[in-house]
Amino acid sequence: MLKKLGNIAALAASLWLPLSASAAELTGVTDTEIHIAQWGPQTGPAAPWGSVARGTGMLFQMINDAGGIHGRKIVYHMFDDQYNPAKTVAGVKELVEKEPGIFAIASGVGTSPGLAVKDYLMERGIPWVGPAAGSLHWITPPQKALFAVYPLYADEAKLLVRHLVEKEGKKKIAIFYASDEYGENGHRGAVAELQRLGLTPAIEVSVNQADRDLKSHLLKLKESGADAVLMWVNPTHAVITLKTAAALQFSPQWATSSTLSDVPLMQTITGGLWKNIIFASFSELPDADVPTVTKYRAAFPKYAQQGERWGVFFMAGIGFVEPMVEGLRRAGRNLTRESFIAAMESIRDYKGVMGAISYGPGQRQGQRAVFLARTDDTGTKVTQLTPWTEVK
Amino acid sequence: MEFLGALPQVMFSGIAAGAVYALLALAMVIIYRTTEVLNFAQGDMAMMTTYVALAMIVGSGLPLYAAVPLALAFAAGLGAFAEFACLRRAKEPSVLGLIIITLGIEMIVFGFASWKWGGEPRDMPIPLSPYDGITAGGVIMSYLELITIAVAALTIGALFLFLNRSKAGLAMRATQQNRAVARLMGIRVRRVEMFAWALAAVVGGIAGLLVGPATTVEPYMMWEPMMKGFAAAVLGGMTSLPGAALGGAIIGIVENLFGYYVSTAFKSVVPFAAILLMLTVKPSGLLARHYVKKV
Repeated sequence: MLKKLGNIAALAASLWLPLSASAAELTGVTDTEIHIAQWGPQTGPAAPWGSVARGTGMLFQMINDAGGIHGRKIVYHMFDDQYNPAKTVAGVKELVEKEPGIFAIASGVGTSPGLAVKDYLMERGIPWVGPAAGSLHWITPPQKALFAVYPLYADEAKLLVRHLVEKEGKKKIAIFYASDEYGENGHRGAVAELQRLGLTPAIEVSVNQADRDLKSHLLKLKESGADAVLMWVNPTHAVITLKTAAALQFSPQWATSSTLSDVPLMQTITGGLWKNIIFASFSELPDADVPTVTKYRAAFPKYAQQGERWGVFFMAGIGFVEPMVEGLRRAGRNLTRESFIAAMESIRDYKGVMGAISYGPGQRQGQRAVFLARTDDTGTKVTQLTPWTEVK
Repeated sequence: MEFLGALPQVMFSGIAAGAVYALLALAMVIIYRTTEVLNFAQGDMAMMTTYVALAMIVGSGLPLYAAVPLALAFAAGLGAFAEFACLRRAKEPSVLGLIIITLGIEMIVFGFASWKWGGEPRDMPIPLSPYDGITAGGVIMSYLELITIAVAALTIGALFLFLNRSKAGLAMRATQQNRAVARLMGIRVRRVEMFAWALAAVVGGIAGLLVGPATTVEPYMMWEPMMKGFAAAVLGGMTSLPGAALGGAIIGIVENLFGYYVSTAFKSVVPFAAILLMLTVKPSGLLARHYVKKV
């Protein structure tokens, strides 16, 4: 009988122990380390955006080589989620629930992958700084532990539409957008701005993530008589779009989001079709001669892996996370999630490789300004069309 | 008038897309006719073939006319190796087990391509601008689309003759219908099956080489065409070569008509709706006769 009771007690203990371990708070901070995680598509349809996570890796490596932050080194956990929200959830849960846990999430590409883990992170109070997507979902409503950096897609779309109408004289603007949160955000912003200007879209065409035959999409755009097309799609779709448009002898003014602002990449993968494209930019241009960019560009050959390229998304991986590093510095040696959040809220007009970033109590959208640029006839040179502009 | 004015252009675009689906459907049918196995690695084997061609063009500087035959030779080797090293090793295999093995091959090929060439899309350089083409009767036809249709038609015609008029084609059909009897008749069924895999990989590889220049070369480039090729094979009948070709054309045209006249957002659903409809109404497909094994 006693043996039986002992077995039951042992079984109960074995069931209770893991529960108590998982219930214990895993802060991701030790005396010598701060554990920070990021997901990023290293393969799959959004792989060109995978360099964001690698750029963050370079920033953390530079910080560690300089002695870390208040005596702690950053331990960086990066994983490939293939832009697949199911894999984002699995990867984040594994890291958060395993010793020693994760102190904060740095960046992370994609609206859909981010949305899949947003509630999970916020319910646990895990800080998340600089999601690599300009979605309204990060700030509506503002979350205590979520600090957005990426300017809103809707604002980018508004600025592009305003420029096309007021500066380029376009009257028939079509909207071609991905049928996901990223595309919808740009779509909504463009429609709102067109309405403000007393116009309606020439046509609104959405594209499914899986589609690779875009002929019917492009035929609809062409038949609409659009003289400009706002393109809110992923890089692969942008390539297929331009090739299909060329085959259909359709050549409107293309305008697109900051997600397609890696000009050398787009020029290469489109086979030279990335010409006269107007795009929004959330960061300084990678070849800009400003100190905030040149210090990283100079360090790049030392830190980057072989085959890596100094491009806008690699640099953005630094820019999205610079405010987090600033927050860690301001929080001091006594680092807790509460002290970190308070430190983040004290950041005003921080200027790194992105536009100016400010937070405050209840203010969680750090950057609002973008500028517009255009590729030239050869698709190799970029001209800045506007100064940093906040859309009111 | 404007509504129907675009119809010829939509139809032509559908045929160009359908030509690729038809090739992939044929590749699946070739293996199915011989071994009753659905090869879900067909698309990624085609992707691998395209990457090999790209590596030879960009990496080694070979001209297109040399790289394409070499890549197709690689495809034949890959197909034969997959059959020899994976399918043939299965002990007392069921058809389901063999299909699972093809899924394993698909994952290995995809993983290898991702590791070797990375996930970023690449441009497949061809000596042809996407702007080049002709206009006839108001229909704009790019040279690349015309070449796609012509290559697919020639491949389908050659395959049809080969499989229906040659002894090798007869041997493949006999192997599918009754493996034991085929062996008793002196057919070396192992070799026939290996040959079927090699031939299918070449046909699929041609599809990959046509898709690459029109889109991008990347590890997942053939997932969507492959699923539509599968839909075309089911629609036409898994054992019918003309059925696969017809199925490809129908899928290409219907999805483009649906995309243009109804909804682009749900365009990619059309092929799968076609599968469901066909399996409900005529499971053997449009042109295949229902084959009943005698016991």
